[in-house]
Parts: sequence; structure tokens; C-alpha cells
Amino acid sequence: MVAALALSVFFPLGLVFYQSVLSGPFFMPAARLSLEAFAFIFDDPDFWSATKNTLVIAVGMSVIAIPLGAILAFIMVRTDLPGRRWLETPILIPIFVSPVVLGFGYVVSLGPVGFFSVWFEQIFGSVPWNIYSMTSIVLIAGLTHVPHVYLYSSSALRNLGSDVEEAARLSGASPFRVARDVSIPMVSPALLYVGVLVFFLGFEIFGLPLILGDPEGHLVLTTYLYKLTNKLGTPSYHLMAAVATCIIAVTFPLVLLQRVLLKSAQRFVAVKGKSARQRRLALGGWKWVALALIGLWLLLTIVVPVAGVALRSVVSSWGAGINLLEVLTLDHFRAVFEEDTMIRSILNSVLIGTLGGAVAVVGYLLIGLATHRKPDGLSRFVDYVVLTPRAIPGLMAGLAVFWVFLFVPFLAPLRSTLFSVWFAYAVVWLAYGMRLIQSALMQVGPELEEAGRLVGASRARVSRDITVPLIRNGLLGSWLLIFMIFEREYSTGVYLLSPGTEVIGAQIVSLWASGAVDVVAALSLINMLLVGCGLALALRFGVKLHD
Amino acid sequence: MTDKTILTVDDLALSYGSNPILKGVSMQLRRGEVVSLLGPSGSGKTTLLRAVAGLEQPHEGRVKIAGRTIYDGAAGIDVPAEKRDLGLVFQSYALWPHKTVFDNVAYPLKLRKVGTAEIAERVQAALKNLGLAHLAERYPHQLSGGQQQRVSIARALVYNPPVILLDEPLSNLDAKMREEARAWLRNLIVEMQLSALVVTHDQSEAMAMSDRILLLNGGVIEQQGTPQEMYSQPKTLFVADFMGSNNILKGRVAEIRGGEACVEVGEGLRLWGQRRNDAAVGQEVSVVVRVEQVRLAEGPAEHRVSIDLATSMFLGDRFEYVFHAGSALLRAWGSRQEASGRRWLEFPPDAVWVF
Repeated sequence: MVAALALSVFFPLGLVFYQSVLSGPFFMPAARLSLEAFAFIFDDPDFWSATKNTLVIAVGMSVIAIPLGAILAFIMVRTDLPGRRWLETPILIPIFVSPVVLGFGYVVSLGPVGFFSVWFEQIFGSVPWNIYSMTSIVLIAGLTHVPHVYLYSSSALRNLGSDVEEAARLSGASPFRVARDVSIPMVSPALLYVGVLVFFLGFEIFGLPLILGDPEGHLVLTTYLYKLTNKLGTPSYHLMAAVATCIIAVTFPLVLLQRVLLKSAQRFVAVKGKSARQRRLALGGWKWVALALIGLWLLLTIVVPVAGVALRSVVSSWGAGINLLEVLTLDHFRAVFEEDTMIRSILNSVLIGTLGGAVAVVGYLLIGLATHRKPDGLSRFVDYVVLTPRAIPGLMAGLAVFWVFLFVPFLAPLRSTLFSVWFAYAVVWLAYGMRLIQSALMQVGPELEEAGRLVGASRARVSRDITVPLIRNGLLGSWLLIFMIFEREYSTGVYLLSPGTEVIGAQIVSLWASGAVDVVAALSLINMLLVGCGLALALRFGVKLHD
Repeated sequence: MTDKTILTVDDLALSYGSNPILKGVSMQLRRGEVVSLLGPSGSGKTTLLRAVAGLEQPHEGRVKIAGRTIYDGAAGIDVPAEKRDLGLVFQSYALWPHKTVFDNVAYPLKLRKVGTAEIAERVQAALKNLGLAHLAERYPHQLSGGQQQRVSIARALVYNPPVILLDEPLSNLDAKMREEARAWLRNLIVEMQLSALVVTHDQSEAMAMSDRILLLNGGVIEQQGTPQEMYSQPKTLFVADFMGSNNILKGRVAEIRGGEACVEVGEGLRLWGQRRNDAAVGQEVSVVVRVEQVRLAEGPAEHRVSIDLATSMFLGDRFEYVFHAGSALLRAWGSRQEASGRRWLEFPPDAVWVF
């Protein structure tokens, strides 16, 4: 079990490293050990400009997302803002929308002939923004990552016992001094953690720069890697592997750092008292400022791109001087449902989300149970194994899995089946899924399991008869969340795309390159609807969207 | 008398939604006095303390500290917690984990814009007072429970609040340390001449530490008085039961003679005791006898009954005897191991209360 897990994680990764030190694709007999792939990319000015852009984006989005996310969390968790309960779900939506869909939404909304650009131009005469500039990319990346910061800082703020805040009030501190001197410093470990997380996500970012950076040639490392695919005419696997190795060299230490920070953050929270009812900070007149801030952010991050996608999918063409009502059409959806590959990609997406998601959850559960409350060396090893795929951006993980299926003869027949895509997805989201499972498992009181052992049940029996039945709801929630994540996924399937393995996300990436905007719009909308169904079900069953 | 009063709570009422927690509580705390709020969980004692501190929202009544009204439901006065100038020692201590011991204690002074040199001096003095001078640079998680408690007391005292509030100050300590801390705390309060309001659910802690006890039950004050009054002259069955270890027997009044009543509590078992309410002959009553008042006796005499000893238990400083009194169990203390069998037990009539 553990061996299979380690193999699934380390074999693809090892293949990437191996490929990076070859002089050509590994299947070519002429390939030999050499560092020329690294020499080539280090010589390529595009690589360095991509590296610079990646850094700019990673730093820029941290600078934007962290203060905004922390303020948002403070307003939502610690103040009496009216309508908080209704705002919680919309705030988290950007996490579940595919970035490639979001990027597309920004293009059709705010691009040179986007809906909002054209309307804005009609009213004010000109458009002051350029959606394809680096500034816009950084800004959009920052705004769409606010929910990640929100998630971690809000749960840290929620865990903060109100007694420490009350003690400050009694000492004579006003509510704002309490926030400044006690609440925010006490969640600073969580903020530090999320800072590293956002910086790390900046290195992984692919969908947004792919769509927004292309027109003006702004490359980041992931899109540089993607463009390398056919740079030399022959498949330049060794170059791609070299880039991948460079990225992992940065992301892996970041993942380890996150782990250390998360642990220290938890230690900090552990010094908490009995948390009584929290009395929320009265905002008074400030509530309008807070509501306006949140409204503006929701407008820019959700309403604008999503409305753009929805609108674009039902018009035949768009530009200045076109009357919206005259160009309304359902042709794009008709086109989608007339083509076999499109229908197949939708069906495959649904299948991989539902059945594939369920199988993945069962797999994660088995791994989780194998190491549940067993503080031995093997469990620690599994911990790190599970963490490793987190450092590999989906695009490369998909590529690595593709190579595995190419490299291993008996796996070759599976390469063009949906299994290869599912396998890649399951490995890429291993860390996320394991966290869901482990937090569900931790809900079960240890004494319930110990009681089972004492009355004579084996470990496996206890798992089957006590632990698993008790976390039924947690498993359902994990399945729904994995469903949404699998629907949203786009980069992992890019290199695995072949007849029979189409999924919507990868299909959009490949169609975008060919300029089929109409079909992309329709598919994007369908993709959002699928995620929306998952979200509605999750809310219906009261699944917590975060822990 | 009135000028000595430092804290006045007048007819305070508070509810969570439609669930009333305090139903009109009035009390006073005099300068240099320690008053305990005692009661079972859910009696509203912690809520009362937090309402005085300004952490809970009453809807009726008045609170005055040192002549200054800090809450008045009718007049719409509600001074926020940070302006009340009270010291509160939290049950969890609520030390700020990101500040050192020194900074924890210094923070209230910093908020009061005290100069840096004076802060250092006053914090050092406060820490020294509590035996913490050598721990100033430590962080809260590096301290033991007892040390954390002292830091939280130092923090509450450093700005000389007129009243110090303590919420279950000893409940987070282990049993052995609790008794030592109790003596230490009482000594500290007396020595520093503090006026303190203490919440506790432990009757012996309340009796040991306070000058007066307020026993709360269901959001009202059931009885208040000195520890001796509360212990030896309970006005209701609830108070009698809450203070001390008791034998409680159900029975029927058989005979009344002035202030005394004879109660039949089972086959042939009749006890004479003080009438504590106006129950008439034939009525169901409860008989309360403190365990320490029941004595093993050598032979028959007045107020003695013959009864079966079931077992005796060794408690370290004494033995506890368990008797069968009909369907109920009776307990008594003594200094020797006793074999089971028929025994004589004496019930002094002035220690037997009939409710």
C-alpha cells in the first residue's frame, strides 16, 4: 500500500529528473546523460524573462492578496457586518472556478473589445486599462487569490479565544487597539503561512498568464514550459524537464516551509483558553465602507468574469456598435452538442468528478486509515510522500504521468484511456485530499477507537466498524469537494489530451490556442455549471468549504 | 457604612434570547472585602461577574463602582469594558501568548500612557510582589499553571483597579496546588487590602477565601452572609445541601413541640430536629444532618437510634461509616475502624434541620 503510494509519487518525479539530465527525449536511442538541457534554457533570454515575470507575479499577488484577505477575514469573523452569513459562500467561489475560465472571462469582459470595455468606452470615451499588461495580470492574480488568504486567516481568527481579547478590553484597550495589539499579532503565524502559500501559488500559476499574457508575450515559467512543447520541432522533453526541475527546486522548499509554519501556527493557537461567546465589534457607520469594499471586490473577481463568460456564450459576435439583442444565439451550445469530442469531454469530466472522485476519496481514506494515529516512522514517511506532489504544478504532473505511461510498456495501453487522467488528478490532489480525510479522521475521539480495541476488535475491524461509519459525513463532504476540484482542474490534463481522454479543462486550453472563442465560451459556462452543481450540493448537505 | 461600599449591583437582569440568566440580582461589595459568588453551574455566577466587567449585556438594573455609575439600564448608561477600570483574572488566565510576562503586565499601563521608566518600575514591583521577578522575559507557554495564574493576577492589579474580579481562579490548578494557592491568594488579598469579587463553584474554597458568600441559584441570590452563617444557619434546603457534606433523609412529621419536630424517616427511625419551615404534622419533609454531626455512641440514650453499619471506609484523616437507614444510606465520621453490625448513632437535635 505504502509502496504503491510512494511509487505513484516518486516514479513520475524521478522520471522528470532523469529526463532533465538527458540530451534528448528518453525514448530516443541517441539520448545520453548530459546537462545540455539546462545549458540551453539558461541561455534562453525567454527563460530569464519568464523567471522575472513569475517573481513579479508571486510577489505582487502576495502584496495584494494578503492585506485584502486579512482585512476581509477580520470583518467577516470579528465584526457585526450585516449579511455576513450570505457573503461567506460568494467569497470562496474564486477557489472553485477554473483560472483558465476566469482568465477567459476577463478577456471577454475587460479585453479590448470586451463587454464592459465597450460599454465603458461608450460612456466615458476611452478605456483606461489594458487587460494584457503585466500590471493587470498581477492585479487579477492578486484579487483572485484573496479567498486563499481569507480561508486561513478567518479560521485562525475564529480559533482565537475571546478571553484574550476581553483581557485587553478590561486592561483599557479600545476595540481597534484590541485588533492591532492582540488579535492580528496572534494570527500572525497564520498570515506568515498563507504568505508563503500565496507566493508558492504564484509559481504554479498557469491559466491566467496563459490567456492574459499571450497577446503581449508575457511568459511565466509554466507558460514558458508549455510553449517549449514544440520549440525545436521535435518533442523537447529534456528542455521541459529541465524547466520543471528548476520550478520544483523553488516550490519544494516552499512546501516544506509551509509545513513547518503550519505546525508552529498550530502550536500558537494551542495556547488558547475556554472561548466563550464572542461579542462582535460594532462597526457603526463603517459598515457601509466594509460592505462597499467587499462588494467592489466581488464585482471585480466574480461578477465581471462570470458574467462575461455567460454573456459571451450566448452571442454570435461582439464589438463596438453591436446591439446585444440582435446577436443573441444558442448556436455555440448547439455546436458543442453536435461534436463527439465535445460531448465526450463533458461526459468524461462528469465521470472523472463523480466516479473518479469517489475512487480517489476511497484511496485517500485507505492511506489515511493506514497511518491514522500511528506515530511511527512509516506514518511520517507517508506524510512527506503525500506532500511531495504539492510541489509539482499540475501541468508538469500531467506531463510526468504521460511519460510514465509512455515509458512503462505494460501501462502503455492505458495511456489513451481516462485512467491516465484520473491517475494524474489523484496524484496532483493527493495532499489536498489527504488533508480532508485526516481532518475528518481527527474528529473521531481516540477513546471510541480504543474502546473498540479493548473489546477485542483488530485495527482493521475498528476502522471498518467504528472509524469509517463515524466519518460518513466527512467522506461525503470530501467527495463533493474533490468533485469540484476535479471539475475545475485544467492544467493536469493538458498533456494527456488524446481522443478518448478529453476533459473540459484541458479541452478549453487546447481550443483557446486554436482561437475557437465561441466553443470556449460555451464549454466554460458548462464547466462553471458543473462546479456550481457540486457547490449547491455541498451547501445543501452543509459541507464546510474549509476546515 | 455606605461610604465604604465600593461596588453596588442593583436589581441586575440579563437574558440570552428568551432565556433569563439573572433575574434581578442585588449585592454590595465593601472596601477591603472579599465576596464569593457561589452556586452550581448555570446559576448565573459567572454571568454576574462578566456583567460587572462589561463583557455581558444586561437589560435592566444598575451597577456602580466607587460612586460612578457604569451601567444603568433605565438611563441607558453602559460604560464599555475598557473604560470601567476593573481588574479581571480569567479562569483560563487569558495571557497573550505573543507577549512576554513583562509585556503582558505592562500592557495596561502602556494603554494608560504611563512613561516607560515608570512602567518598568511598576511592572517589576508587581512581579516581585507575586514572586515572578525572575520570569519577566519568559513567554506564557514557558510557565507552569500556577505561575501563569500569578502573571494574570499581576496584570489585573498593576493599574490599581478599585475592585478585582476573579473568575474561578483556582479551577485550573491541580487538587494539591489548589489548597496552597487558596491560602496564598487569601493572604495576598488581605495583605494588599484588595476588594475582590470571586466566582467559584466550590463551597470550601468560598468559605476559606471570603468574608461574605453570595449563594446563587437559578439567577437569584438564595442567601448571603458570612461563611459561618451560611454553614450553620442555612435558610433553605438548597443552602443547607450546597454548603457542607450532608445526610438528607425523606420523612413525615410525626409530632411538633415548639421549635422542634419529630420526623419519622423509616421503620421505627424517628429523629428530633429544628423546624426550619412551617411544615405541619403528617407533611412530607426533608431532614438534613451534617455528616460530622452524627456520632457513633456506646449505648442507648435520648436522641440515639440503633442502626445497621454496612461498611467503613478509610479516608486518610478519618474513617467514614455507611449505615442502612431503611432504603437510604447514612454517613458518619469517626477515628476508628469499625466492624459491621448493629450500632447506636447519636443525632444532636440542634444539628438536625427539618425543611
